[in-house]
Amino acid sequence: MVTKTDETQLNRLENQVDNGGGGAWEYLCLVKKLKVRRPEKVLKHGLSILNDPKKRSSLGPDEWTLYEQVSIAAMDCQCLDVAKDCIKVLQKKFPESKRVGRLEAILLEAKGLWAEAEKAYSGLLEDNPLDQVLHKRRVSIAKAQGDYSGAIDLLNKYLEIFMADHDAWRELAEIYISLQMYKQAAFCYEELILSQPTVPLHHLAYADVLYTLGGLENLQTAKKYYASTIDLTGGKNTRALFGLCLCTSAIAQLTKGRNKEDKEGPELQSLAAAALEKDYKQRAPGKLPLLASALRSLKIS
Amino acid sequence: MGELRYEISQDAYIKLVLHAQKHKAAAVNGVLIGRVSPRNDDVVEVTDSVPLFHSHLGLLPNLEISLILIEEHYSAQGLFIVGYFHANERYDDAELNGVAKNIGDHICRYFPQAAVLLLDSKKLEALPKKIDQRPVMQLYIRDASKNWKLVGSDSGSRLVTKEPAANTLLLDYITTEKWQGIVDFNDHLDDLSKDWLNPELFK
Repeated sequence: MVTKTDETQLNRLENQVDNGGGGAWEYLCLVKKLKVRRPEKVLKHGLSILNDPKKRSSLGPDEWTLYEQVSIAAMDCQCLDVAKDCIKVLQKKFPESKRVGRLEAILLEAKGLWAEAEKAYSGLLEDNPLDQVLHKRRVSIAKAQGDYSGAIDLLNKYLEIFMADHDAWRELAEIYISLQMYKQAAFCYEELILSQPTVPLHHLAYADVLYTLGGLENLQTAKKYYASTIDLTGGKNTRALFGLCLCTSAIAQLTKGRNKEDKEGPELQSLAAAALEKDYKQRAPGKLPLLASALRSLKIS
Repeated sequence: MGELRYEISQDAYIKLVLHAQKHKAAAVNGVLIGRVSPRNDDVVEVTDSVPLFHSHLGLLPNLEISLILIEEHYSAQGLFIVGYFHANERYDDAELNGVAKNIGDHICRYFPQAAVLLLDSKKLEALPKKIDQRPVMQLYIRDASKNWKLVGSDSGSRLVTKEPAANTLLLDYITTEKWQGIVDFNDHLDDLSKDWLNPELFK
């Protein structure tokens, strides 16, 4: 999960390096820090440093981490020869290393040799039962083979031990969503909200899942979480604003003909609609008429 | 009534594949825009497409908003949402999953002749080695019991690109990384100034 400021900075740096303005090492470090996936760029710019002996030696001990980073990017781009070469260099420098052993196992994955990779990870896990990366690679193997129930199983077992791993909770939620197991996805987001209550994206995702589940109670809760997202993001989150309008509309549909006490006031929806109109006016004025008629179709008489 | 055929314009076709190229590690989807051909009731002309999402495809709120906005825009031109495009996350996954079927069903409620197109990664990969004029997509149509059925591996003439050289152009765009410029609904919701109509893409 990357903030907008981080992403802007990353893209700016990427542009700079792409156009020959230097800063490759800075870029590579930022990619690593933010844990984003940009394999083609990492491969290109990483290799430009590694293939230049002067640049390479100026890295000092960081040279080895760069080999690791580039080998993983190479595997992501299916440039397996490059990956093998990088791993060979690391093997020479660190002959008994478990970290290099891990890379070798990932290479097996990249080649699609699932059984061998699984064996390698199990072996490594015997000596390092608490290595989180190893556990998670096993989930990737299951996922890559389309064994979603296996991946879910492994992730759940993993989370029993490492329950503070937010990335794992999010991955599990996404797998559940892709399988349309919305109740289970909701549970994951509840865990995330409990442990990171001020991260708006969890509130937003939870609201989205509840809306998808449907039913009056879920819609009412979803509305609350869209509202909390808007609160946490200072009203800047377009999806939450839209979500709020959708919820109000759906709730009104469901409570048609009920007592006045059950009905909700229109203030929240009007505020959200006004905020959306303001945003569109500023950033996408050409789409304003579209927005206006969409919002009209969501208002209930 | 004869068998339904779908004719997809080059721009609509390429846009969808480029979107999938931009997000290689994810499942992506999009909608097909068009109408029944005024000259032939059995032909659905797909004149445009809108890339939708590259994450959380199975969630309703963003889908609903996107469909409302897209419909509003195109109905002014006498065009409708006539189908759905889906590309699976994994290369060797050639199944149409629940999310795709549900969205397809929803679109059928408003346009009964709607089709679902699934990206065929293997066909796409084979293109550079041997150019083929057939679209790199599988065609799914609903049968009488409302189940989505794959239309013969040689859907042959039931799904065609309007311009025969569409794949050649597609390959060219892939080589020149034209997919960098594609904007989908996800991108628009993150930054309203990004236009999901992609007006500058093919200029």
